[in-house]
Amino acid sequence: MSKTLRNIGAVAGKELRSYFGSPVAWVMMGLFAVIFAWFFTVYLEVFMKNSMQAQFGGGPQSMNVNMSLIRPLLSNASVLILFLLPMVTMRTYSEEKRSGTIELLLTSPLTDLEIILGKFVGAIGLYAGMLLVTVLYVSILFFYGNPEWKPVIAGYLGLFLLGSCFIAMGLFISSLTKNQMVAGAASFIVFLFFWIINWFADSAGPVVGTILSYLSITEHFDDFAKGIIDTKHIIFYLSFISFGLFLTLKSVDSERWRG
Amino acid sequence: MIEVQHLTKRYGPVTAVDDVSFRVEKGEILGFLGPNGAGKTTTMRVITGYMPASEGKAVVAGYDVFANPLEAKRRTGYLPETPPLYPDMTVREYLTFVAKIKLDKATKSERTMRVDHAMRKTHVDDMKDRHCGKLSKGYRQRVGLAQAIIHDPEVLILDEPTAGLDPKQIIETRDLIRSLAGDHTIVLSTHILPEVAQTCQRVVIINRGRVVAVDTPDNLTHQLKGAATLYVQIEGGHTEDALASVPGVQKVSVADRHEKYTGFEVEAEPNRDIRRDIARAVVDQGLGLLELRPTRMSLEQVFLQLTTTEESREEAPQQ
Repeated sequence: MSKTLRNIGAVAGKELRSYFGSPVAWVMMGLFAVIFAWFFTVYLEVFMKNSMQAQFGGGPQSMNVNMSLIRPLLSNASVLILFLLPMVTMRTYSEEKRSGTIELLLTSPLTDLEIILGKFVGAIGLYAGMLLVTVLYVSILFFYGNPEWKPVIAGYLGLFLLGSCFIAMGLFISSLTKNQMVAGAASFIVFLFFWIINWFADSAGPVVGTILSYLSITEHFDDFAKGIIDTKHIIFYLSFISFGLFLTLKSVDSERWRG
Repeated sequence: MIEVQHLTKRYGPVTAVDDVSFRVEKGEILGFLGPNGAGKTTTMRVITGYMPASEGKAVVAGYDVFANPLEAKRRTGYLPETPPLYPDMTVREYLTFVAKIKLDKATKSERTMRVDHAMRKTHVDDMKDRHCGKLSKGYRQRVGLAQAIIHDPEVLILDEPTAGLDPKQIIETRDLIRSLAGDHTIVLSTHILPEVAQTCQRVVIINRGRVVAVDTPDNLTHQLKGAATLYVQIEGGHTEDALASVPGVQKVSVADRHEKYTGFEVEAEPNRDIRRDIARAVVDQGLGLLELRPTRMSLEQVFLQLTTTEESREEAPQQ
């Protein structure tokens, strides 16, 4: 068991070194930081204007930082990762297949699952780094204001799980092709599909509608953004991740047979 | 050490490797020779556990590569046709990663030792902090080789280890491979014939996915010669008759004709040394004997003969 963990760790470490040794990680983190900062300032401005009005105009209730600032901010961050994560996962398998390094991994005493989990953990690591950058901004709020920290944790947990789903699915798509651009574009389309699938829920029949909105990756995120940690959403995300990894495993295995 | 039995690999309707069997003994260097697309890489990929066979099996160091892949892979070092390097890693980082995944039982200091050893052995230590993507072709190949020997495997599988190198690097790589034999059992593939003659103890010639011949390079050139032939170069005069009259000579033909001398191809009865008689006959005629040597078929000729007869046999029924 410890050997398995060590192998996963070795592959994950290699993935991270590849991300940070090339511009990928820095560009991702930079883009994420800049765009998130822009969202942050815009929402902060709106929030300050509104709370000023509330103070002077004697509004009905006092403004809540969690509800009117952090929640929309994290929701927007979730849109951002929809665009950014395909760029992280697109090269995971495609690039190894194109350059032939996959031969090294597949002829080493590693199981397919160890390789997949290693790659998954590596991408998660980069994603966690991206999220960590945004924690800086949010901590400014804690420094000057007095938001509740529990909903913030819930929101980040939701973001983390949401991104992990994308990564698992992106890993699978990357394992299907040698071309990383194709992998990136296909991942984006598939992510988008799971993102907007509930838009059709209303027009579809009641049964299909329920299924569609259940499959929607955003429906499950809403509660997290509100600060609610519900096991049913966690189970959904974890099943989604396992399914993505399972598909990757099958794809790698069948690739082996086809040669 | 390596045993391949009735190995067949099909890609859809295409049969890339067809019923290939051979054995490699411990410490031996086996050359895997064949034209491009003969099935060399596919066979090697099956032996290394990269892909499963459609039929048949491969056993490496006592472990079936399909039934017990991890144990077999622990004992195999593999250099694919393109060295599997990560361009963003330095040579040392790369080899440390390979050591981590290949030597899963070793401690950190043991791994560092193996990395240093492999770098020394393949002479890449002067480039250890260079990124793999910035290495020259020769260094890439050597780092690829370092990667293959890092876990001190019993079996080394090298797919065209000298392809794309300059002559000096080719000689260095061959020397390196020879120095690895003994400790390791080596299978190397190539389509360059002199390489096999120089490095390998035994040759498997493969064509269109089938084994055409298995033997030592010397035996192959001898066996296929058929009748013994001599090349005789003589100064002056018309000497064909003189040569033909020597007992044991079956056929005389002119190989090359120059102003002052003529070269002859003399075919003798098998298993009969007629060199002394020919020399005497020429000297008795008062002619100058410039050269007298047995002509052996070069490995190129052997190879062509083997692969073309195979082809004509295959095409015959279709006509």
